[in-house]
Amino acid sequence: MDKFIVNIIHRPEMVPEYAEKVTGHGKIEDIGRKALLTESLDIFKFQQETAHKNGLKTTIQMTYASLFNEEAVAIAKEHHEEYGDEIALSLLGLPCKEFREKYKTKDFCIWMFSMEDKKSIVDDVFGKFKDIFGFYPESTGSYYMDADLVNYIKETYPSVKCAVATCWEEGPKAYHTCNNSWYTLLDGGPWNPWIPSKQNIHAPAANEEEDSGIVAIPHLSRDLIACYDGNGSNFGTHPQNVLRGMIYDTKTWEFPYLFNLIDQYRSLEKYNNGYSYNMMFVGPGWLNKMGRWECPYELLKKSYEEGCAYYGKLKKEGKLIDMTMAEFADHFREKKTYTEPECALWRDILYGSTKQLFWYCDPYMRACINMYQGGALVDLRPYAAKLEWPVGIGTPHVQDASYPFLIQEKYRAGYFTHYAGEGTLRSAKLIYNGEEVDLALCRTSAAFSEEAIEGGMKKRILTLKPVDIEFEDLKVTLQTKVIFTEDTGEITYERKVLSMSDPTKKVTLNEYMVACYGTTEYPEDMTALTLSVEGPEGKRDIAYEYKCREDYMESADSVSCILPPIETKVSMGCAKKSATGYIKEGYAFSPMFTLGYETEIGDKEEVATWLRLEKAN
Amino acid sequence: MAQAGKGKLNYRCPSCFLRDLDIDMFYDKEKKEYYCIRCQYTGTEKDILEKNELIRFRYRDMYKRFSSFEV
Repeated sequence: MDKFIVNIIHRPEMVPEYAEKVTGHGKIEDIGRKALLTESLDIFKFQQETAHKNGLKTTIQMTYASLFNEEAVAIAKEHHEEYGDEIALSLLGLPCKEFREKYKTKDFCIWMFSMEDKKSIVDDVFGKFKDIFGFYPESTGSYYMDADLVNYIKETYPSVKCAVATCWEEGPKAYHTCNNSWYTLLDGGPWNPWIPSKQNIHAPAANEEEDSGIVAIPHLSRDLIACYDGNGSNFGTHPQNVLRGMIYDTKTWEFPYLFNLIDQYRSLEKYNNGYSYNMMFVGPGWLNKMGRWECPYELLKKSYEEGCAYYGKLKKEGKLIDMTMAEFADHFREKKTYTEPECALWRDILYGSTKQLFWYCDPYMRACINMYQGGALVDLRPYAAKLEWPVGIGTPHVQDASYPFLIQEKYRAGYFTHYAGEGTLRSAKLIYNGEEVDLALCRTSAAFSEEAIEGGMKKRILTLKPVDIEFEDLKVTLQTKVIFTEDTGEITYERKVLSMSDPTKKVTLNEYMVACYGTTEYPEDMTALTLSVEGPEGKRDIAYEYKCREDYMESADSVSCILPPIETKVSMGCAKKSATGYIKEGYAFSPMFTLGYETEIGDKEEVATWLRLEKAN
Repeated sequence: MAQAGKGKLNYRCPSCFLRDLDIDMFYDKEKKEYYCIRCQYTGTEKDILEKNELIRFRYRDMYKRFSSFEV
C-alpha cells in the first residue's frame, strides 16, 4: 500500500438527527414537515455538489426515508452515472412517517433493536433498495454494526462488502457530553479500517474462518489523543465537529486544526506499509440553515467547502486517491493480511504539548502506549477472546456495545488515584534504599521501527528516549523498548540500564500490571476471577474475594489472571529466570488485581518481561 | 414570567463546555439573558462570546499549521 485514501460519504437523511429538535423547538414534533424535507434534500445536494466541484467521488448512502423520495433517488442515479458515485444503503436515517407507522417505535439505532426486528428492518430496507435500483448494495453502515447484524446481512445479501461499523471511542465520554442522553456506547474498536471477526465487530479477524466477509470502516477519522481524553465529537475529520469543539478563530473563521488532523493521518503511512486512510461523513443535520452550536450557517457551509477543497487539492497533487466504499473494500483486502497490525504513533496537535501515544491494533488486542507516562500501557482490549457480546433489545447489553477493557486509564484511573487504592496501568517501578520511582512519571518520546521475523511477519518496536531516575544518592539512566510481535498476542517490555552514577549498585525493578475489566467508569463484580502463580513450587491460586491477599514465588514461570466474564486470560512472564513473580488480589476500595515480577538490575543489564493475551474458555 | 425559548443560535453553556458537557442554554426575554438549566451560569450574548474565547485557552496550537508530526 502506498496511498492516502479517502472515503467521502453523504446520506440524504430526510429527517436529520438534531434538525427536528433544534429547528423545531417550541413546535409539536412533526417529522413529515415539508420544510424539513426540503431543507434536508437541499443540504444533500449541496454536499454532493461540493465534493464533485473538487473532483471527488462519493458514496451515497441512501436512507430508508430517502427511498420514498423520488428526487433523492433520481439524484443518486444521476450522480452514479456522471461521477462514478456508489449508491449504497445506510441503516442510519430510519426515522420517517413510513418507518414509524410500520415499526411503532421511535428507536433509530439499528444495533439496539431486537434481532428479530433487525432482520425485519434489514429485509425491508434492502428489499426496497432492490425494488428501486434493481440491485442490492455493496456498502452499508450505521454508527455501529454488531456482529450478529453483520453476519445476517452478509449471509442474506452477500453483495455487501463494506460497512461503516463503529465510531472510535464514542462511549461513556460522548454520553456525558450529551448530558447523559446519547446512548452510543461503542468504545474499544479500531480507529482505521479493519476486517471484523464474526464473533465481535470490534475485534479484527485472525483468519479466514473468523472473517465476517466485510471490510469495516470507522465513522470519521478521529484525533487519537484529543478524542481519547475528551469528547469524540469535537476532534474528527468532520468539519462541523471542529466547530463544535470551538477549534476555530472567531474573527477569521480559520480552522487549521482540521488540516493538521488530515495531514497527521496521512503521516501514518510510515507505520502501515505505506498506506493511510481518511473518512469524512457529515450528516445533513450538521449543515442546518438555522446554524448549529454557536455557528451561523455561513460558517458551517464554509467549513464543509474547505474540507472538500483540501481533499481535492491533495488529489490534484497526486497525494490522495478518492474511492467509493466498495472500491476501498477491494483495495484493502488486496493489500492487507489478517495478522498485519494497524499502528499509529500520534502526537498532540492541539494543546501545545509534545505528548505522544502509540496505538496498536491486531486480532489479539488493541493497545495504547503513553510516552508521557514513560511508555506505560494505558489502554488494553483483549481481542484474543473474540468475545461474543450480543447487543440490542432482548440481550444483556441493550445499549452497551463497547469491547471490554483490562486497562483503561481514564475510566479506572491510571497512575494517579486519590490517595488510596490503585488505577489500571502496565508500568514499572525502580526501588533503591527505601525510595521508589514509577516510570509513569518519566515523560519521554518514542521512535518507531520494524524488524522482519519468520513467515514474512514483523516485530513493531517502540524505542523510547532514555530517562533519568534520580534517587538521593544514585542516578540511573534507563531505556525502554516496547515490542509487539505479529501474530502472538504478546507485548514485550525491555528495560536496559544505560548508566548508573555508581555502577557497583543494584536497584530493584518491579514490572507490574494493575487491571480489572469493564466497559464503563464503574466497577464490575470481580469474584469470578482467579489469579495464579506458577513455577518451581507448583501452581497456587487466589480466587478473588476482595481480601487483599498476595502471593510470591521465586523463579516463577508465569503469573496470570483468568477473567471468565470476558473469557480472557492475561499472563506475564520474565526472561530473567530468577525473578520473583507475584499476584495481588484487590479489595473493595480498589477492585483491581495486580500481576508482576521483581528482580535486581544493575549497570548495563537488561530485563525483558512479556504480557500475553489468550482466550479463556 | 413567560416561558423561555431558544435564542437565535443554540449557544451552549460555557461553564459546562469546560467540563466536556454540551448543553444548550435557554433565553429569558425579560432579563435579556441566557441561562443554563444544569448549572448556575447566566449571561448575555456578549458575555457568552467572551467566555467562549476564554475556553480556547487550552488550544495553544489552534492557530498553528504543522508540517511535521515528529516529536
